[in-house]
Amino acid sequence: MSVTMNSKHNTPQLVRHAILAYWTIFWLFNLADKLIGGAHFLWVGRDRFAQFQKYFESVGLDSPDVANSALAFAGALEAFALVCFAAAWFSEMQSDRVTARKWSFYGTLLTLGTFTFFSIGDHWFGDRFELLEHTLFWFISLASWLIFVRMEVAVDGDTPSKPRLQIGLTAAVASILVLITATAIFKHNTSDFHLRSDAVTAEPVGDHLYKVAFPFLGGSTVFENTLTEFKAEHPQEAIQHIYTVPKPLRLKKADALIFYIITEDKP
Amino acid sequence: MTERALLRTAILIFWTLFWGLSVVDKVIPDVQFLWVGKDFFALFIKFFASLGLKDPLFATIALAGVSGLEAINFSFYLTALLSLRKAQEDATDRWFFRAIFTSVILFGLFSIADQVFGDRFQLLEHGIFWLILMASWVAFKHGALPSQNIARKMTRMGRMVLISGSLLTLMTAVSIWRFSDTTFELASSPVIGEEVTDGVYKFDFPFLADKRVWEATVNAFKQNHPELHIRYIYTGPSELNSKKKTHLLLYVFTEAKTDHAL
Repeated sequence: MSVTMNSKHNTPQLVRHAILAYWTIFWLFNLADKLIGGAHFLWVGRDRFAQFQKYFESVGLDSPDVANSALAFAGALEAFALVCFAAAWFSEMQSDRVTARKWSFYGTLLTLGTFTFFSIGDHWFGDRFELLEHTLFWFISLASWLIFVRMEVAVDGDTPSKPRLQIGLTAAVASILVLITATAIFKHNTSDFHLRSDAVTAEPVGDHLYKVAFPFLGGSTVFENTLTEFKAEHPQEAIQHIYTVPKPLRLKKADALIFYIITEDKP
Repeated sequence: MTERALLRTAILIFWTLFWGLSVVDKVIPDVQFLWVGKDFFALFIKFFASLGLKDPLFATIALAGVSGLEAINFSFYLTALLSLRKAQEDATDRWFFRAIFTSVILFGLFSIADQVFGDRFQLLEHGIFWLILMASWVAFKHGALPSQNIARKMTRMGRMVLISGSLLTLMTAVSIWRFSDTTFELASSPVIGEEVTDGVYKFDFPFLADKRVWEATVNAFKQNHPELHIRYIYTGPSELNSKKKTHLLLYVFTEAKTDHAL
């Protein structure tokens, strides 16, 4: 027997909220990244100034004012896209669909304009990966607008029913899976977190040749501790060279960083 | 103006600029003042050499063929854009279809080449562009974008959007200039090293740093440590970085100069 419950929102309405929430948050964080500037405690973001400065310098325009102006223009497009989507989302919450549609459209136009502006830069500065990224975002913006408008037609559709038995079963299975996953993660943390800082023992693989295979958690601290331990264990040898094994020589994704230490006897 | 007309204009402007700049990139060779672009000639030469066709004639003919197709393709987009400006709907649709069709053929050719040359990443890239082109055509022609006029009357919400957008723009611009003022010196200043283990110094390079910073850093280090001799410089691989926070790590291995103490 399935028991149904009435829902305040129907599916198309939730999709419209999801679209507006996504773009509002997307532009909010993009703008916050420009407002904060640089990496700080609890925020890394992306150093757009360094990126723009290097791009413009590569074409011979090394004055920081050029990079700043371009970045400020992009920031203006993003700021207006943010407030347009925020206005659309606010109107959607007030069930004012006409106004929501209008502001969402302006937000989409500004988003398309922003990514068109970025893609001009990508051609200019020869960054094909960013061109692909920005074209994809341009397309996602266009597609989300079309979906948003289509959902307007469907918003008056049937309210979906929610069988309680199905919900109960899904919740039970999901809870068990969450418990298993969380336990596995915490267990992994307890057993392996020390690898984030512990020195790795260098394994001799030849005459004055040592192999160091990093754990995936290893970073610069592990590297430095490994060097300290290596020097303490081999006081008669001086490091002559460190050879980092290039990615094609590693076992696909199973190997993390591997390097060889080549030494010589101290005089 | 209607929503439909504005969206069609946005789609056409994007693709016209896309192909126009692609053609410009082929016309301007190598890196010049005010243009970097991508060196497709070098790419094609390497691709054909990998097949055993080392004569540059093969790469040159292939690149000339592709560039010619791109130029034709661009002229189709331009004609479609001009037709749209003149409100000639049929002509716009016709030229945009021709442009999309040519673009799809071009990306089809690129994808064949990617498979022959074994470049799977470029295959993914070209496949995505191919799909976006198709989707752009569907959105342009069959997306059934409703013809809704844009209201020009300034509402209370419109005023709020304008004021808050302008304020945010102002704040962003101030923040960008301030950040630029405080960090621009990092584009040329030497990085200060930190001794992480006996005789090994770590240099955490900022994002603005380039080869000039490297040179300034090594020179400053030598000046500050006349008692040390640089034995070896190790560039930390990306695995040593703290994800996106670190730009470049450099380790300098030193030893004491034997004659310094005398």
